[in-house]
Amino acid sequence: MGNNSQVARKKAMTAQIVKLAWRNLWRNKIRTGIMLASMVFGLMGVVTMMGFLSGMYVSMIDNAIAWQTSHVQVQNKRYLEDPDINEVIVNPAALYSELDRLPQVSAYSARVVADGMVASARANRGIRINGVNVTDEAAVTPIAAHIEQGTWLPETGRYPVVVSQKTAERLRLSLGSKVVLTFSDVNKDVTGAAFRVRGIYRSPSSSFDDANLYVRQQELSKLAGVEGVHEIAVLLDASQSGDSFDNQGAELVAQALMKVSSTQNQIRDWQQVQPMLATIISQMGVSNGVILLIFVTAMGFGIINIMLMSVFERTREFGVLMAVGMVKSKVFLLILLESCLLGVTGAALGLLGSFAVIALLGQTGIPLGSMSEGLGAFGVDTTLYPVLKTGEYFGVFLIVVVASMLASLYPARQILKLRPVDAMSHKH
Amino acid sequence: MSIEISQLSKTYNQESDFPVHAVKSLDLTIEQGEFVAVMGPSGSGKTTLLNMIGGIDTPTSGSVLIDSENICELDDKALIAFRRDHVGFIFQDYSLLPVLTALENVEFVMQLQGLSEKVCRARASELLTMVGLGEQMHKVPSKLSGGQQQRVAVARALAPRPRFVMADEPTANLDAKSTSELLDIMQSLNEKEGTTFIFSTHDQRVIKRAKRVIVFEDGKLTEDKQQ
Ligand SMILES: Nc1ncnc2c1ncn2[C@@H]1O[C@H](COP(=O)(O)OP(=O)(O)OP(=O)(O)O)[C@@H](O)[C@H]1O
Ligand SMILES: [Mg+2]
Repeated sequence: MGNNSQVARKKAMTAQIVKLAWRNLWRNKIRTGIMLASMVFGLMGVVTMMGFLSGMYVSMIDNAIAWQTSHVQVQNKRYLEDPDINEVIVNPAALYSELDRLPQVSAYSARVVADGMVASARANRGIRINGVNVTDEAAVTPIAAHIEQGTWLPETGRYPVVVSQKTAERLRLSLGSKVVLTFSDVNKDVTGAAFRVRGIYRSPSSSFDDANLYVRQQELSKLAGVEGVHEIAVLLDASQSGDSFDNQGAELVAQALMKVSSTQNQIRDWQQVQPMLATIISQMGVSNGVILLIFVTAMGFGIINIMLMSVFERTREFGVLMAVGMVKSKVFLLILLESCLLGVTGAALGLLGSFAVIALLGQTGIPLGSMSEGLGAFGVDTTLYPVLKTGEYFGVFLIVVVASMLASLYPARQILKLRPVDAMSHKH
Repeated sequence: MSIEISQLSKTYNQESDFPVHAVKSLDLTIEQGEFVAVMGPSGSGKTTLLNMIGGIDTPTSGSVLIDSENICELDDKALIAFRRDHVGFIFQDYSLLPVLTALENVEFVMQLQGLSEKVCRARASELLTMVGLGEQMHKVPSKLSGGQQQRVAVARALAPRPRFVMADEPTANLDAKSTSELLDIMQSLNEKEGTTFIFSTHDQRVIKRAKRVIVFEDGKLTEDKQQ
């Protein structure tokens, strides 16, 4: 019982010190208010910036997955080393049946790919010719929804081709224009045919647009004399693929496919297909960290400054506290708490504001305007939606609070060095 | 309880070319329940002496025995506990915490002792009522007059039931009426509770009401009279 009441009194004492710290914090309302305002607006700026950057990376990654890598890809190992048209996927039937069976797979598209040339009457360019199954491809990539003119590849009609807007501009093509596609067949002989432009697409990535066009698989296979496919792109269910930074779902599917696949095939998740995406993800943490570090350092100096002012102008008061029997550890706790409460209040208000800004921009989006041209090369959308995870808000909160506590250490130390008489003889 | 001071000296700036001998080889005994005024010209060493007895300053040499315990030999922590439990301080400028109400100011020193909230509340309001502030106890110091603030300070000094109360020029900032009210309160507490009061002063009206007057000059005791 004696022990219990001792604990209760200790708690009451701590509550008393918290109360004292809170009231001390608001002694100079203007000074505390200005510091809080600078923390709040600074945090809103920093957090919005972090959300903006994350949004940019998310957009980049999501677009890369949607258009280029999908979640999982299968190729023949030798095809990856040297994309020879003869190096088709070994025993694709086993893969198809596994893909049909796996519940987390939403769609897959098997492609015949030929590197060749596209020529109009005016010019020609090197290009990757994707021979696709019309419905499968439309289920795996968003291409059908990104046709700017005309339509996605029709099931009927002779030799339709869908080219990008960029290719159309370069080769001065319009709907109905005729282009000649040339490439090597399985016997290494040059072959080709005239195709008619049925659709013009535009993806978020200008470099992707530069390099890809689409034809129907039957026609390409026949022209090239290929039996089989070169690439299977697999899209997972949105609920199964995790968020933009997480490839665990993809890894699991890749592992399942490996079990049934011939060892001559290579099965890769999206981070393996484009290692740059993994680099971007780790890089993102660093850039957000640097922004946060700069802000927290600036804020820390601000807090040191006002804690120094507020503590030194009360030197005598601390002397009195020590004289009437407040132990140094409690005086220290008092100063630490004042700074900590400042940090907690500033961080809470700042993050609340940031949350509101990010939620608002999440609705409206940030139009990139003229910047979108340059960022288009990296596959960033023209409108960005800033994102920040709950964990990141929490992390920022914690860092701000810890930094504000650290900022009080120096002023607190200066006070604790004094004897009560010296502190009390301090005049202002 | 008694305070036995022997060969107590305090020298400021000892290392420098101009050391200041604020208190010189002082011998003095103060018994339980005394009501002592220390007087003397400015710079004679009154504050220095009171600070050493109260354990907020350390002497250069000599000893202060409180109930045969030499407080000059206590370490920092023990000294803080000694002040908390056994010494009440009243300062010239009152030195109340401006963010706490009168009641909270008085409670605070008892909470430092680890007394329960209930006990603190009861004793604090009892003391504040005793010093005539029953109606004002929820006001913060800035809403009280100087005399009222000093009465809060007296209540705060007495709250932890100290063995003695040190008051360095407690009436210096008070007008005649407040001074006499404060002295009434200190005197009645001295008589009723037997609390020892030691205060320094320049004020003749205060000196008249002391039971014992110690006159200090240039760090030395020149007169010690009961009255
Ligand atoms: N911290 C200090 N450093 C150096 N000298 C000091 C210090 N404090 C006091 N002194 C000197 O010690 C002597 C005694 O000072 P003290 O304050 O004890 O006198 P006092 O009797 O309280 O004076 P007053 O009536 O003006 O308050 C003075 O000469 C003073 O200048
Ligand atoms: Mg003095």
